[in-house]
Amino acid sequence: MPDFLLVFAQSHSEFRLPELESVAELYGFPLSLPADSDPSRPFMPLQLESEEHARLLASRCILIKYVYELYAQGGNYDELHVANSANIHLWSSYAHDTSFKFLVTAYNHKIPESRQRNVVEGFDYMGFMGKIDLKNPQIILGCFEEYDSSAGLAITRHDRDGRFRQVYFGRLVVEGSARALVKTFDVKKRLYYGNTSMESEISLLMANQAMASPSKLVYDPFCGTGSMAYPIAYFGAQVFGSDIDGRQMRGKAGKDQPPGVLRAAKQYGVADRIIDLCTFDVTCNPWRCGDLFDTIVTDPPYGVRAGAKRLGRKKELSEVQKAANIEHQLSARNKLEPYIPPTKPYELSLLAADLVVLARYLLKPGGRLVFFLPTVNEQYEEVDIRSMLCDGMLLVANSLQDFGSWGRRLVTIRKATDESYPPPSFEEEREPGGHVPGHKDFREQYFRGFKKED
Amino acid sequence: MVRLITHNLLACHVKGCTSNNFPLEFKDVQVVLRDSEFNPDFLRGFIPKIEWPALTGAARQLGDTSLPDQLPEMQDDDFLKVLHHVLLEIHVEEGTMICPNCKHNYPISNGIPNMLLAEHEIG
Repeated sequence: MPDFLLVFAQSHSEFRLPELESVAELYGFPLSLPADSDPSRPFMPLQLESEEHARLLASRCILIKYVYELYAQGGNYDELHVANSANIHLWSSYAHDTSFKFLVTAYNHKIPESRQRNVVEGFDYMGFMGKIDLKNPQIILGCFEEYDSSAGLAITRHDRDGRFRQVYFGRLVVEGSARALVKTFDVKKRLYYGNTSMESEISLLMANQAMASPSKLVYDPFCGTGSMAYPIAYFGAQVFGSDIDGRQMRGKAGKDQPPGVLRAAKQYGVADRIIDLCTFDVTCNPWRCGDLFDTIVTDPPYGVRAGAKRLGRKKELSEVQKAANIEHQLSARNKLEPYIPPTKPYELSLLAADLVVLARYLLKPGGRLVFFLPTVNEQYEEVDIRSMLCDGMLLVANSLQDFGSWGRRLVTIRKATDESYPPPSFEEEREPGGHVPGHKDFREQYFRGFKKED
Repeated sequence: MVRLITHNLLACHVKGCTSNNFPLEFKDVQVVLRDSEFNPDFLRGFIPKIEWPALTGAARQLGDTSLPDQLPEMQDDDFLKVLHHVLLEIHVEEGTMICPNCKHNYPISNGIPNMLLAEHEIG
């Protein structure tokens, strides 16, 4: 199998491997990651069956900047040139009259121009006779030096130069084209958004974990201002959204305009793929049956800017109050003053556990649940995620977006069973004695500054 | 919005309302037709989930009689195009959906149905 070199964008390193695996699964080709692959490094050598597979990854992975055909790598230039000479069959056909451009760059370092020239001259033995063309070359050859971070080291750039960890050399196969979507879906340029709208890069990464593609049916039970719906629909899937608060989906524009989510969807040319938006509480949901959706993808409100709510009341009413309340509910109302039922907070760890059971009911066999879970970094344990799983639901990926003292984890879970399951009970009183996850009462912990309770 | 594909998936969920709670009946509706991209693979995948009498009943209530009484065994493109129109191109923008059993009213406003239950209905 040919060797390739993936060059990643320098963000969200924990999302790199899950994204590669999801996109490969979406297009139905195998991906065998080397056992020693380290996703925190920006260069990843990878064997793929064909260049076509490399192109598919680059067309869809948000975190891929470039894919090169890997000719050689080494811990120093001697090793690199020995390996490159041995691979002459990979590049000799370009030597005669192919126009080319030669790039020499480094990660975590800037190579002085004088040495860049030396590096290029070091490849003289390849005997490339074609024209050097910086504007429209037929091929681009790239040489990448990978340095460890210099943070905290008392060493000058001059002294560091050449002391790289690894050097890679190859031919550019394709530039990552999906990365441009980060700009396309920029929230600031969106016609409708709110203060909890998800930034575009993350929402695109979620859409890839969701394996969104044409003819799939996707559901977002905490739809809000629709951040998840747009990239999902852009990749061809049909989307249902629901939210306990209809105002999030509608916006303030009033009745003369379509709901806000649809206006933004129209901007992206995907309004038709938003099948419907419904106002309801997911713990009292009207879905007629299960085994409906290919994917459930959502960013549940976790209480920093907006807390999760469910129908109900924090304190029970007395019998007299109850009777008066029912009368109040049933009294005739005009359209401008609709009855609004009371809501109460929905504690995060209960919400997350319910979401997994709900997904098991609503997903088709093999379907995925993709959602964000905020966690307190100091208290997080892997068992927090494992203990949320239930029979039939398997963890696929768990990637942290780190904000320092806390972070949020993009969790991907698969329904690994053909069985049908009943809807969850959404009971509020749970059996005590189970594992208490670190994300319980996240909102309270957040506003306490993640200090331990006295 | 409130397309018939959605209507076919929503049942009344008032506490204790568990039989004859589907399909919801339309009342005082404003209907808009909008073209939508034809996706035969999506339709074929969705057909097993359709409650057929509920779909034909709802379509007729909204004045569309193009669907046959029974789901045909041969699902050719001509049929799928008719199904596509009924499921995805008829939008109920305003009106109410009423539970045939408990008579709960689910109002539709600007294309978004309000399926929230009142406090005494969640038990």
